[in-house]
Amino acid sequence: MSYSDKVIDHYNNPRNVGQMDKSSSEVGTGLVGAPECGDVMRLQIKVNPETQVIEEAKFKTFGCGSAIASSSLATEWVKGKTVEEALTIKNTDIVKELALPPVKIHCSVLAEDAIRAAIGDWKKKNGVAETADYVSTVATN
Amino acid sequence: MPTAEEKFVDVACWSCAAPVVHAQLFCASCGKVQPAHSGADYFEVFGLSRKLAIDTTSLEREFYRLSRRLHPDVYTRASEQEQNWSLRNASLLNDAYRTLKEPIARTEYFLRLEGVEIQEEGKQASDRKNPSRVPDDLLEEVFELNMQLEEMRMTRKTGDDDPDLRQDLLTAKQQFEAQLAETDNFIQQLWQERDEALASNFDFGDQIKQRMVAALDRRRYIRNLVRDVNETLDT
Repeated sequence: MSYSDKVIDHYNNPRNVGQMDKSSSEVGTGLVGAPECGDVMRLQIKVNPETQVIEEAKFKTFGCGSAIASSSLATEWVKGKTVEEALTIKNTDIVKELALPPVKIHCSVLAEDAIRAAIGDWKKKNGVAETADYVSTVATN
Repeated sequence: MPTAEEKFVDVACWSCAAPVVHAQLFCASCGKVQPAHSGADYFEVFGLSRKLAIDTTSLEREFYRLSRRLHPDVYTRASEQEQNWSLRNASLLNDAYRTLKEPIARTEYFLRLEGVEIQEEGKQASDRKNPSRVPDDLLEEVFELNMQLEEMRMTRKTGDDDPDLRQDLLTAKQQFEAQLAETDNFIQQLWQERDEALASNFDFGDQIKQRMVAALDRRRYIRNLVRDVNETLDT
């Protein structure tokens, strides 16, 4: 199995590696992991309280090239989106963009989970109701 | 592999025609070695019902007793066919003993026998219908451990050492080892639950099996963390 050029690019030049203040009310932190491969992923977003636009995103991932590329891409994609827009990012979009082989699909699932966990954390901190209905409406339409 | 539901039809002893229960290595009536079926159930090889709580002392005793009866010396004057059967049975008996004496190997074997999908070494998460997640209560610790491991690897790359960090990692390793022991205890507790459920014919076996799968996942995960610490500190 060989990695696609895009995976290698993200692996060699990961975007937005780092950390933001977990205790800030504008920051949402998602921490997820997959036991089979031992990957752990932390993705953080910084949300503008006025516009609900994600202005900053950081990640730190311990895992294989695909996991690092998936989370790197996820931070690029959520930046500039509103929280609700970011929730529509699907793992299949990541699979397509990075041309992940079937055995690495779980890396993209992990990245989607990390986005959701980060947004969930931000919502909890800011007393915003979960929008499960919105997500399921989008999925069924 | 046979499932729990499949009942085996007893066969007749090739020598005395007495009925022989599937997977028995010898005829109970005349004592002649029997052609054991490939894929025989390891529990049945030892004449045990499919219970998880096993007395390993008597298992070992039975293993030696059967091994002696299968020893090649016993068959020097037997037919070639009996010699072959005894060799095959000895190999089956060894596999069965190795699997059943180890608590984790036994649990995994049991789950496979019952048709439960479990994670096997070298297989990818995506091969599974329900890929498991890192237990939530471990995530923070695991992330922190990975940060420390990364720092330690960088330090060691430059030929240095960091005694404080090393000590932190050793402490973390001890904590994970303690959790490993806890998980082992929990798995044994699940054995009891399942064996009791079986005895009372009360069917919540599937739920217990899923908890076993989760416990095995957790165990494998923690074991890999301990391995990572060992590799980072010693190589």
